[in-house]
Amino acid sequence: MAEQSDLERPAVDGAAGEEFLRAAFQVLLEEAVRKGTDVAQKVCEWKEPHELRELLDLELRSHGEPAGRLLERCRDIIRYSVKTCHPRFFNQLFSGLDHHALAGRLLTETLNTSQYTYEIAPVFVLMEEVVLAKLRELVGWNSGDGIFCPGGSISNMYAMNVARFQRFPESRQQGSRALPRLVLFASEECHYSIQKGAAFLGIGTDNVVLVRADERGKMIPEELEKEIERVKSEGAVPFFVSATSGTTVLGAFDPLGPVADVCQRHGLWLHVDAAWGGSALLSRKHRQLLAGIERADSVAWNPHKMLTVGLQCSAFLLRDDSGLLQRCHGAGAAYLFQPDKFYDVMFDTGDKTVQCGRRVDCLKLWLLWKAVGSEGLEQRVDRAFACTSYLAAEMKRRDGFQLVLEPEFINLCFWFVPPSLRGQQGCTDFGPRLGKVAPAIKERMMKEGSMMVGYQPHGTRPNFFRQIVTSPAVTRADLDFFLDEIERLGCDL
Amino acid sequence: MTLWKCSGPCASTCKQDVLQKKKNAVLVDGVILNGPITDSKAGEKFVEEACKIIMEEIIQKADDVTEKVCEWRAPETLKKILDLEMRDTGESHQKLLQLCQDVIQYSVKTNHPRFFNQLYAGIDYYSLVARFITEALNPSVYTYEVSPVFLLVEEAVIKKMIEFIGWEEGDGIFNPGGSVSNMYAMNLARYKFCPEIKEKGLSGLPRLVLFTSEECHYSMKKAASFLGIGTENVYFVKTDERGKMIPEELEKQVQRARKEGSAPFLVCATAGTTVLGAFDPLDKIADICEKHDLWLHVDASWGGSALISRKHRRLLHGIQRADSVAWNPHKMLLAGIQCCALLVKDNSGLLKKCYSAKAAYLFQQDKFYDVSYDTGDKSIQCSRRPDAFKFWLMWKALGTTGLEERVNRALALARYLVEEIKKREGFQLLLEPEYANVCFWYIPPSLRKMEDGPEFWQKLHRVAPVVKERMMKKGSMMLGYQPNQGKVNFFRQVVISPQVSREDMDFLLDEIELLAKDL
Repeated sequence: MAEQSDLERPAVDGAAGEEFLRAAFQVLLEEAVRKGTDVAQKVCEWKEPHELRELLDLELRSHGEPAGRLLERCRDIIRYSVKTCHPRFFNQLFSGLDHHALAGRLLTETLNTSQYTYEIAPVFVLMEEVVLAKLRELVGWNSGDGIFCPGGSISNMYAMNVARFQRFPESRQQGSRALPRLVLFASEECHYSIQKGAAFLGIGTDNVVLVRADERGKMIPEELEKEIERVKSEGAVPFFVSATSGTTVLGAFDPLGPVADVCQRHGLWLHVDAAWGGSALLSRKHRQLLAGIERADSVAWNPHKMLTVGLQCSAFLLRDDSGLLQRCHGAGAAYLFQPDKFYDVMFDTGDKTVQCGRRVDCLKLWLLWKAVGSEGLEQRVDRAFACTSYLAAEMKRRDGFQLVLEPEFINLCFWFVPPSLRGQQGCTDFGPRLGKVAPAIKERMMKEGSMMVGYQPHGTRPNFFRQIVTSPAVTRADLDFFLDEIERLGCDL
Repeated sequence: MTLWKCSGPCASTCKQDVLQKKKNAVLVDGVILNGPITDSKAGEKFVEEACKIIMEEIIQKADDVTEKVCEWRAPETLKKILDLEMRDTGESHQKLLQLCQDVIQYSVKTNHPRFFNQLYAGIDYYSLVARFITEALNPSVYTYEVSPVFLLVEEAVIKKMIEFIGWEEGDGIFNPGGSVSNMYAMNLARYKFCPEIKEKGLSGLPRLVLFTSEECHYSMKKAASFLGIGTENVYFVKTDERGKMIPEELEKQVQRARKEGSAPFLVCATAGTTVLGAFDPLDKIADICEKHDLWLHVDASWGGSALISRKHRRLLHGIQRADSVAWNPHKMLLAGIQCCALLVKDNSGLLKKCYSAKAAYLFQQDKFYDVSYDTGDKSIQCSRRPDAFKFWLMWKALGTTGLEERVNRALALARYLVEEIKKREGFQLLLEPEYANVCFWYIPPSLRKMEDGPEFWQKLHRVAPVVKERMMKKGSMMLGYQPNQGKVNFFRQVVISPQVSREDMDFLLDEIELLAKDL
């Protein structure tokens, strides 16, 4: 037997490893956590891709490097990464850093387990159930099912698949080719994962009907009704409607009550993609945006967005509690879900998913909730709304800022019209010229590293900014800075 | 440094206005907006103290065999012990730290040297540091603008993995699990076969059929169902007594599918099956795929890491002929859950064509940098974790030779265990392993004189579950058992972690003997 002497001792230098971990932790605490959340620091350290590649020395070689060099690398990684926890990072539907959630995440990483069975993740199996039950309670259900998914896109796909299975249980074995042409409906403002999901599930993107939204970005129920009738007359089978609670760009909320009425009339599965807007359910003041959500058959809700818990934390919630999820996805793999275990195997919830190994996503949310309570979360949600109101009011007072529409959520969409373009709305090339403003300002802000905010075109509208505040660390000074900075960077355009 | 100075006519009034506003407090919608509502100092303190606990209770105890692998409690009991309820108000700093302690205490220590239960185990400090950094930075890997570093890191790692597979070039993406990688491959193969399916869906199309070993991972079935192909259109190919797909049987199945008028489109070979750790003969399978123009996907989620070992990479001989490969470094290489790559030989942008949706709010074409770096549209996900980074940092720390040593050592330990099993009475190997899965029965003394027959096997079937229960309640170790292909419950011992040494292998056998002797 060769190499037996190698087997006598562990092949890992635990002491050196721990030392490295300690040193790296200090670096991370200082460079990422403290500096990352400090307004005096940059949001990003912009480098062109080829330049950054050089700097990082990414090549993987045959020999390892000493601890000192590795720590330097850690510093570089942090330095050139965008500080999504920065109070002036407004670019995506997530931002900020919650310390309790962070502790939960570090703990999750160190325990390094998969969520499939009680035997290897006893605490987390129980915890996930409690967290999902809490989220369901907020939706308005006192029973039901669910699971944490690796992202809202996949949560939406789960909904589609479960809806298809419920309507056509044979589709699990026979596939979709044996079924009539299935059609699903979503608002034209829906998240693109609906299309990706339709393609992935073998339904086809042509069979996604995008229903017209009104000028506020909300699905028009009468249009939904029309489209359903049209599809039926074509001989296809409507089976699924995805209403969006908090659209990605405008932050619009589809009218769930009327949409649910339509679904009920036609016997269609109602899924509510509340990945973004779901957290408004925590606010007694603002939850009416999702009035009617309890009528949904399924809900997608991503606490990693508005609740700052960290990617990923995406819940797929199901109203059904008859084991539909298990029937739809279960495969009963004998090596993992043995029926002869010595504990009640109903706790082995992993077979409900399409994944095998699955990360523990519940701990960070649970720990945050334990730290601040539902009331603390409500406070944060209300504050995000208040920040948006403040900004909207300020924009109305300042020259050059023009709201795209009055926000009902926390997406603040606006144009900045530089002095040179003011009063020129009548010109035919006003649109294209205005469309060049946001990209230019974005480039400037990123190269300065002062802040980050997203922009996009939308329908016929030229590029406008989409400002999002989720982090409770954002102060009024940051909001003022935001407006001042846009003005400063854009005034000579 | 200010790059652009505002020099327009509004400049001086701008400044005055700003100074004025900053002095007033602002109350909006009942919320005071001046200061943040979170106490970052207290928060940082919590993170530091929680990490201290993590360090003491998990990291420092990680290689201590005198610690328990698990602190078993029945579900109803554990529910009562853990204060899981989520309330309206928050808890104190001390209570929260106590909760962390409780979570740790009752969680299974997958980094323990005697945790052999799954296809992952152990702890790598470099990967852990990378994971900590990831959490602190909380990035999403869709665009260069939001995660420049991690995107480039992923690109470098994929390139390196492709090199080990043996392709000149290729494409790839990191996914939330090998199951998802397999789904990607299935969908990609389907898209290549018939690109219209992306738009038109499957309704009314010929019956697509795919082939895989009867020892394949169950994600193949789940994938077929999820993708709308249907589980009955997964044809399972017989394996030999070593758990390897029989190529002649594959040929038979493909012929059968053709005769039925269906449309074969994909073969999934497994490099490292879940239970037996068997490697399908890739060259022969590739021949058949070429002959019938079928996409060859190799599920090397478990066995892929053998590619890093010059000694053992022959197990995957022929893998460069695959069209796609799934490989999970979080298994044999301790990269940390999750770290799963799907690698694709095609370099013509097939992955992107198959998956893109070109969302205008995220993948704007008028950005100020080269948007070909915005690789997120290749994915079915929107937000995505930087799972390649932990593998990258670990590779930087250990080098290829360090990773290779790990694989070699794990397999050497497996070999040692096999030899010991052969020497000891009562232990019976199922088959000679070629990888890190050591499958065996333990026949307690009371059964050793028994005649081979149904009664013997029935009784033997009940041994493993009882031993498992005992080991878990004792907390001395964890390894899995399962029935497989008509064989009654046997143990599946998996060696991965570099923290494991020879004495842990001896302990394993001693402990089973101890726990089972009265059965």
